[in-house]
Amino acid sequence: MAIINQATKELQVKIVYYGPAMGGKTTNLVQVHDHVQTTQGNKGKLVSLATSSDRTLFFDFLPIEAMTIKGFKTKFQLYTVPGQVIYNTTRQLVLRGVDGIVFVADSQYEKMPENVESFQNLMENLSSLKQNLGEIPYVLQYNKRDLPNAAPIEYMDFLLNNRDVQVPSFSATAHKCEGVFETLNMITRMLLQKYINQSVPQYA
Amino acid sequence: MATLPQLIEDDIQQLDEALRELIASADATAALVIDKGGFLIAHQGDSCDFDLTTIAALSSGAFMANQTIAGLVNETNFNSTYQQGEKFSLFVINVDEHCMLVVIFKSQSGVGVVKYYAAAAVKRIASQLVVAEERAPGAGLDLSVLNTAETGQFFRKK
Repeated sequence: MAIINQATKELQVKIVYYGPAMGGKTTNLVQVHDHVQTTQGNKGKLVSLATSSDRTLFFDFLPIEAMTIKGFKTKFQLYTVPGQVIYNTTRQLVLRGVDGIVFVADSQYEKMPENVESFQNLMENLSSLKQNLGEIPYVLQYNKRDLPNAAPIEYMDFLLNNRDVQVPSFSATAHKCEGVFETLNMITRMLLQKYINQSVPQYA
Repeated sequence: MATLPQLIEDDIQQLDEALRELIASADATAALVIDKGGFLIAHQGDSCDFDLTTIAALSSGAFMANQTIAGLVNETNFNSTYQQGEKFSLFVINVDEHCMLVVIFKSQSGVGVVKYYAAAAVKRIASQLVVAEERAPGAGLDLSVLNTAETGQFFRKK
């Protein structure tokens, strides 16, 4: 969970990009890394623990220090998980201490079963950590909207955004950096709002 | 899910002191207290040459992966891990449910001495975290000073 360090007035939060294999999670982080506007030294190195074929093996990690708000330094740690089904234990490890989730879905029609399975897997893994999506802010990103076989947004909402409370969803073409920052700004806003709404901070 | 207790300045000072003492006693290069979620909580020592934020994230992931491996070989946990390099080595030891201690030291130093002094540091860090845990929750920081209306464009594209 978020670290609030009163001594240094720092707020550290962890955002995890989750979703099916080859959906564009790593591409999101690469685009943020390449295009984010920060003061010098506030953007860390993008670390990728990937296989030789550039598939995420453990996770990708990008630390960024965002602007200071009213005296608080806000440090964000962005992670991805490996999307392939066999790496479930790794996904559980990366989810530990998560504050906000971006679910990156692949818009191609034939990927819908994988999207749904991955979303189900997210809920199961959170449950194994005694957490649930009702407590953790999350947003949906429908990626690869530039492909000709992309399913309609309404259909993707029907499949993935059908819980009691609908969450913000964003169309994206991550490799062109479209929708990437909109998604990140929204999850940031949602998770900060969550902490503000807690009358007494519970985390250090 | 249980979380790390809120830390105030006094806690951080105590953690820093424990780390400083460990570095001096074990002749280590740097020592870090990190959260199991990957956050860096406190650090001391010569940190100029190291990207401590990334070391914290990767150490946490690697250590937690080892915990899972422990389960697969019917061990309750691997309480510590040691990675030996040519110039620097790394020793990671569990502190409590939330935290672990990472010690970076020159490879020419013996791991035995690091283990010995790290065990004492772990006790001290753990007991300070208990103090933090038992502190009145009302002592928390008021986050309402954060105004999310200003965060619409938190991250901007170049």
